[in-house]
Amino acid sequence: MAKREIPEINAGSMADIAFLLLIFFLVTTTMDKDMAYMRAIPKRIENPEPPLPIEKRNICLILANSQNQLMVRGELMTDPDEISEKVKEFYTANEKVNDPKNKFPMYSTISMSQIEQKILQAEKELEETENTPDVMPEIVEFKQAQWDKWVKKKEALEMLGKPQLREIHFQAHVRIEVQKNTSYELFTKIHSELREAIFDLRDEVANDLFGESYGVIHKRYISNEGDKDKQVEASEDKKKIDLLKILYPDRFIEVTPKK
Amino acid sequence: MSKFKKDSGKSAPGINTSSLPDIVFMLLFFFMVATTTKEADPTVRVVQPEGVRATDMTPYKQRSEIDFVYLGKPMNKARIKDFKSGFALFLDNVAQPDPGELYSTNVIRQWKLDKFNTKPASMNKPIESVITCVKADKEAPTGMIFDMRNELQEINALQIAYAVKDLGNI
Repeated sequence: MAKREIPEINAGSMADIAFLLLIFFLVTTTMDKDMAYMRAIPKRIENPEPPLPIEKRNICLILANSQNQLMVRGELMTDPDEISEKVKEFYTANEKVNDPKNKFPMYSTISMSQIEQKILQAEKELEETENTPDVMPEIVEFKQAQWDKWVKKKEALEMLGKPQLREIHFQAHVRIEVQKNTSYELFTKIHSELREAIFDLRDEVANDLFGESYGVIHKRYISNEGDKDKQVEASEDKKKIDLLKILYPDRFIEVTPKK
Repeated sequence: MSKFKKDSGKSAPGINTSSLPDIVFMLLFFFMVATTTKEADPTVRVVQPEGVRATDMTPYKQRSEIDFVYLGKPMNKARIKDFKSGFALFLDNVAQPDPGELYSTNVIRQWKLDKFNTKPASMNKPIESVITCVKADKEAPTGMIFDMRNELQEINALQIAYAVKDLGNI
């Protein structure tokens, strides 16, 4: 059979097709990132028990009213940029030495042997509740969480490399109370300042302990987390982050406005 | 006899465009990788407040673990007076209901549950960890955000995110 020449396909319109696709994607997509402050909403409880009384020194109260005026720990504040300084002071005032005279949360000290005792105790309690017939799953969950907490503290102290772990009072928290007409701008400003304060504090410790900033560790952890080959590094970074979170916990309470 | 020939009469050779599609495809792939698809264009005007050290929501968006709520003044100025506070809600993937219904808190609950239930089973994360991202206008009253928050608490959707315009870390 005679050899037939294959006619060349005209690829001249290929560029047009590609341009069409390109323009479609340019129109339907955006490049700007969505940035936000993530907050957990507390679980709804059917019949809440009356809350335990909390010492005033353990609350960092941030008030914002409908006229967008600010009050932090009982002092009027005209410049919202100062919130982060106040929050930092709240966290660090008693960090080195406890001073019962001031109005800031106390720090407690715990040693390795004490933590190990607590782990054993939590383990025993967990086992007991699991073996109790007809036990509510919430209680088992709670005991499990208790045990996890102590194990995490042990890891944190190992990471810290000091004989003792100094921790802020377990009730110390930041309480945000706004009114219904407070602007969203001020509300997010408060969150921004809180985030900045916590970030700065963690940065400082991270630089002392590991020679790199919290931001760097956190970013690397996020990028390594999903990578199967980098699990070792990710778990190491996770431990570092856990320690920093124990030292400066982000405990924020947002109160639903009544008026 | 001259050294330079005048090539009069000959036309300029055509430029070879066979690599043009390659270049365009390269551009196309760049934009496909570097951008994310737009959510619905909101019909409310939102000027975001500024903040620092906010969390990037892109990874959640790519896994569609996030729902967006817009809160702002309606673009159509004539409609502003239809709303009690002047601010209206816009929920993604929902056709605009009546103005009266627009800001009733039940809408949020129904919308969130509908969105959750229509997702394919393989993508289902427990509803507690599906984020609701609130993109609100600077001037929006915080009371409305807390109304939403309470609604979300009722249906056990326990992650909320307050969107801001990030100023970077410096």
